[in-house]
Amino acid sequence: MSFNFNDDNLEKIELLKSKYPKVQALSLPLLWMAQYQDGFISLEAIQEIAKICETPMMEIYKVSTFYSMFNLQKLGKYHIQLCKTLSCKLCNKDDVLKSIQNELNIQVGESTSDGLFTLSQVECLGSCGTSPVMQLNETYYENLTPISIVEILKALK
Amino acid sequence: MSLVTVNIDDKSYEAKENSLLIDLLILHDIKVPYFCYHESLGADGNCRMCMVEIEGKKRPQIACDTFVSDGMSIQTASEKISSVRKRILELELINHPVDCPICDQAGECKLQDYYMDFGLYDSNIDMKEKVHNKKHIALGSSVILDRERCVLCTRCVRFTSNITKSGELGVINRGDKACISTVPGMKLDNPYAMNVVDLCPVGALTSKEFRFAQRVWFLKSTPSICHGCSTGCNIFIDHNQEKYKEDKIYRIRPRKNREVNGDFICDYGRLSYKNLQENRQQELLNKSNVISYEDALLELNSKISGSKNIVILVDANLYNEDIAAISNFSQKIGAKLVCPTECYFDDSFGDDWLKSDYKCANLQAIKNYKIDSLFSSDQQIDLLINFNHPSFSKFSSKQSVEFSTHKGSSAELVLAIPAYSEYSGTTINDANIEQYSQKAITTDVATISEYLSDLSKVAL
Repeated sequence: MSFNFNDDNLEKIELLKSKYPKVQALSLPLLWMAQYQDGFISLEAIQEIAKICETPMMEIYKVSTFYSMFNLQKLGKYHIQLCKTLSCKLCNKDDVLKSIQNELNIQVGESTSDGLFTLSQVECLGSCGTSPVMQLNETYYENLTPISIVEILKALK
Repeated sequence: MSLVTVNIDDKSYEAKENSLLIDLLILHDIKVPYFCYHESLGADGNCRMCMVEIEGKKRPQIACDTFVSDGMSIQTASEKISSVRKRILELELINHPVDCPICDQAGECKLQDYYMDFGLYDSNIDMKEKVHNKKHIALGSSVILDRERCVLCTRCVRFTSNITKSGELGVINRGDKACISTVPGMKLDNPYAMNVVDLCPVGALTSKEFRFAQRVWFLKSTPSICHGCSTGCNIFIDHNQEKYKEDKIYRIRPRKNREVNGDFICDYGRLSYKNLQENRQQELLNKSNVISYEDALLELNSKISGSKNIVILVDANLYNEDIAAISNFSQKIGAKLVCPTECYFDDSFGDDWLKSDYKCANLQAIKNYKIDSLFSSDQQIDLLINFNHPSFSKFSSKQSVEFSTHKGSSAELVLAIPAYSEYSGTTINDANIEQYSQKAITTDVATISEYLSDLSKVAL
């Protein structure tokens, strides 16, 4: 297995290189690029990024583990990111979580066997006025209830 | 650079301006605890243990990130500092498994030492609440990682990234999940990797070769010089004689010498102690029969007096004293003295740091005594006397005598001699520095100088 950036991204990389004084500065943008390209960051992608950034593979790997928004495992088609911070917690996100777990039969951090859903909990999504909130891929779903979440998930199946 | 006066604990000290305060404290043996600072790796400032009070500063400051300036006034042992250190140590130890009874580092562990000084003797943590982590992870190159004991000082990480530049180790994740790791599927793999075991201030990185072999407080450390190559790294030979057993070397550690090896040695040198105690020649043999010391000398004497064309081979690992004695001896009996150095040369071994291309400790002495490094003879050799030179078997002769440290000699007369760890002497490294090795292990076997002086008595 090997990883290569696609032509669009290679073009972008050349553009980025001219923006920064050192190639090492590209590590974060390149990790994002790899994640958008594959849906997750594979070790092969890290190896490729290390080569472009002219740095040991460990440097890129430790950056990718430091930030929780980088996914090192392959995710389901829909990535459910349920907020677990104070406002959502006070507005019953625990019940919403239970409802998701019952519906999909998975725990936090797991994916469904059909590869459709991955469930994770995240810190504040910055939408406390409409809590509880979840981010499904790039979309926010607000004012969730244990019933409404089941409807949303059923519609996606 | 100008000198400045610094006041530490009401005593004044002189220091170079803009040098690190922690260096001054260490130089004058003023007690300062630290995990992450290391002379060869520099300051990192992550462990926060080296807090001192500086007059005019609101809060305690870390000594490893403070530059000295003129008139600075510092308190290192005030009540405030003790309480600060106690609290920091409490946090370092919060998830520590306290498994000292089975930890190899016990006895030379910074956590233990500082705990005796600043420990919070009644723990606030219930053992059941501790966060557990993976133990005994094989990182590669005989290094084992125990994540529970790690204090994340990142000395090992900085060693691989700044010194060996191989960058295998790093801190992954963050918060209380942060831990030392390699990239999945990759190993810690460089010729200096085992130095991280010495660098680790706690028991997180231990050597597979030394694990559970010996408690460190039983070991005697003898200062010596590594005989792995002609760099002549300074080492400690750590050995112990257990009851009813032979004195045994358990490990070799680097000994600090700024002129030669700094704080480090290579893994080849570190593991070379195994060869010092395996397959050793202990007896004196004449045609495979064990003979006494006196008989051996008589036999040797008769061989010498009955031969005309004598060639002496001398090993470039022997001490200066031996080479001098052999040189005298060869003149006395009119023998040709040679030391072919080709067999020591290995350019795949050497690098641009500590490892040298010549795998022998005393090449310089061979040059100083002007001993031939090339040898070819058309004449038939009557008697070949070999002093532990490795390419003995390449020469053919009518008769042969070998002084040997290891078994497997094909000579008619084999005389056992001690290895470098078993007697003392000096060697000269490739930078022309003469260095002294002490005797670590006691042995009954006679040294080369003893053989030669006793032989001269027999010959009389």
